[in-house]
Amino acid sequence: MKSADNKKRREEALELLNQAENSKLLTNLNACVRCGLCAQSCMYYKALNEPRFIPSAKVDLVSSIYRRYYTVTGKVAPALFGAKSLDQDMEERMVDLLFGACTMCGRCVKHCSIGVDIPFVVRKGREMLAVMDMVPKSLQSTVDAALNTGNNMAIPQEEFVDTIKWMEEELVDEMGDPEARIPLDETDKELFYTLNPREPKFFPLSISAMAKIFYAAGESWTLSSKFYDVTNYGFFNANNGEAAQIAGYLYDEIHKLRGKRLILGECGHGSRAHKWEGPNYLKKGYDFDIITVVELIGEYIRTGKIVLDKTLNSVKHTIHDPCNLVRNGGLVNEIRFIVNRSVSDLIEMSPYGDDNFCCGGGGGSLAMSEYNDRRLKIGKIKADQIAATGAKVVITPCHNCVDQLLQINHTYKLGVTIKTIAEVVADALVIEKRIKD
Amino acid sequence: MALLEIDGRVFDVDGDGFLTDPQIWNNEVAELIAKADGIEGMNDKHWSVIKIIRDNFEQHGNAPMIRKICQETGLKLREIYELFPLGPARGACKIAGLPKPDGCV
Amino acid sequence: MRLVIMEWYKYSALIAASICLATFLYRLIYLISLGLPKDLSKESGSVTKGIIYSFTGAMSPKEKESAYLHLPTYTAGVVFHLGIFSALLFFIWTVFTLFISVETPELLSVVLIILLTLSALSGISILLKRVFSEELRYLSCADDYISNILSTSALIATIILLTVNNSEALYFIIMTTLFLWMPLGKTKHLLYFFFARLHLGFFYGRRGAWPKAKNRDYEIS
Repeated sequence: MKSADNKKRREEALELLNQAENSKLLTNLNACVRCGLCAQSCMYYKALNEPRFIPSAKVDLVSSIYRRYYTVTGKVAPALFGAKSLDQDMEERMVDLLFGACTMCGRCVKHCSIGVDIPFVVRKGREMLAVMDMVPKSLQSTVDAALNTGNNMAIPQEEFVDTIKWMEEELVDEMGDPEARIPLDETDKELFYTLNPREPKFFPLSISAMAKIFYAAGESWTLSSKFYDVTNYGFFNANNGEAAQIAGYLYDEIHKLRGKRLILGECGHGSRAHKWEGPNYLKKGYDFDIITVVELIGEYIRTGKIVLDKTLNSVKHTIHDPCNLVRNGGLVNEIRFIVNRSVSDLIEMSPYGDDNFCCGGGGGSLAMSEYNDRRLKIGKIKADQIAATGAKVVITPCHNCVDQLLQINHTYKLGVTIKTIAEVVADALVIEKRIKD
Repeated sequence: MALLEIDGRVFDVDGDGFLTDPQIWNNEVAELIAKADGIEGMNDKHWSVIKIIRDNFEQHGNAPMIRKICQETGLKLREIYELFPLGPARGACKIAGLPKPDGCV
Repeated sequence: MRLVIMEWYKYSALIAASICLATFLYRLIYLISLGLPKDLSKESGSVTKGIIYSFTGAMSPKEKESAYLHLPTYTAGVVFHLGIFSALLFFIWTVFTLFISVETPELLSVVLIILLTLSALSGISILLKRVFSEELRYLSCADDYISNILSTSALIATIILLTVNNSEALYFIIMTTLFLWMPLGKTKHLLYFFFARLHLGFFYGRRGAWPKAKNRDYEIS
């Protein structure tokens, strides 16, 4: 019974590679020449130094299966063309390397001698594993929480509301303005803002920071009390049905509240999953604007809606570039535009921008306890980068990066503070008091 | 699954170092985990946070919101981050013997 | 054009070359017919600019660790590829001379011999690296060795053809093998390389990540 089941699942997984009309897939499964020059661009290989971690080897797991089942040469002479069967051993290696040893940061893509879209192939491999029910348990449990409760930490609605009310009281105190608000479930607002659930649950300073910025800008905005989660771990577990369901939550909610623009909170993968992948998961173009909060803050500065005094942040800062916002999202300069106006002492990491290394916690790895050890080992690369700058504060517009950086900070005793962009901007805000005399 | 050895005691933990069986937790275990994370000797403030997290877990099966921790201990947010450098989740919840929360923590 | 009765190995090379060309042409037309991916998200950059950059700026050795961290291998790779392209072009020329009696200009021969010698040495060095490096052996299958050996052999056969009398048989037989292998082995990246660049340009272009913004643009805005 079980083996018949397994067989069926394997067939479904193999079917995912049988897409003769998918030019991108066809190209990427046929393009790698295994020159191995990508090795040094990958954190896993650099930190762990084993050939199985070379990006090309990860691509080959998937493409070797493709050759075995969908090319004549691979069927006739598998040994000659490196064609491999999808068997238990292969499945185990796929889980270990595609889930456990790739943050899908895409650094190898830029440096690949050919230009193979390696994370695209890795995700295709993850899709196969998802079909076979082989997503690591801890990652799947994060997805399940989002599917079942609307947020990936399963925060009950009333607890979320209590937290926001509490934040609102603090905002009123801090601004000295009884009118200061953190609006919930309000309709017809200009902006529909989103959060990473770890903010209300454990790290709400970034919510206060953003509320302050909205206050200063005099923005018309709202949060939803139910569907505010900017993450979409369906991007990582590669179950496209689940990814679509999660994308649908935000899509439906902004329509329900009749918001005009969806603002993606500081979350790298979430921004990517909602802005770039979401419409494709849902198979429809969005009829509302969707931008990241980084772009929104940039807009505020350019239009003079907020005024910043960068001398208020005078210690040495550096920037960690979230892969999904920078290398894969094109925000390298937008982030620097904002940071340069918010802090007076900025030093870049080496390398930085498009070439920056991942924090080490991307690709869902932060949620996967199974690979904690590896995650901290590859984090050494980031730790060394940070230490070399001599900065006291590391700024990064991604909560996932923040958490990995917190852990690296502790593990490698860096003694730095990690902040989101909203926190840095909020600290530099010049707000005129609005209380009427 | 992994093993964590502190001062000769061995615990079953997940890959992130969270106890596999929350039931084996007691104050002594908490101190050992804290020590492994670099917190030498927990003070009253540490304990007040841990107690609320543990109580919440025993009653509701999950970690409390940071709001609850702040309001019930009277501690400021920033104080909590200073008490537990790894944060409320990887720091405090782990010491309180909870399983690792889902999400970006 | 006069009708010639040719040796069998010339026919075989011509037939193999035709099969190779037809296979690549078929795949080329097929891939073109599939077009660019359908993407429903709102473009914030420019696909066209991204694709142009993908074939130009993004290929600069300054942008790629696969080049600047590995200069000897990168240089060998470039020379190897230049040589192979020259040898393929020279094959067309050789076929031409089968039907029309023209001599290969002396200067061309000399230049080719020098280039192809360097190229063959590069090919051999890349092959040796694959044999001796533990990492590369881990990645490799028979295809990797065969593709290199056939390409390098074609270079050597071309050099021999240019320098040794009566070496045509060897030349055409080796070219036959190479042409038959090309669409099958990883040598097919001859085609897929261009589509890989195209897809990257599309992906990064529409997100505004490519073309790479010039440093310090943010200070102007």
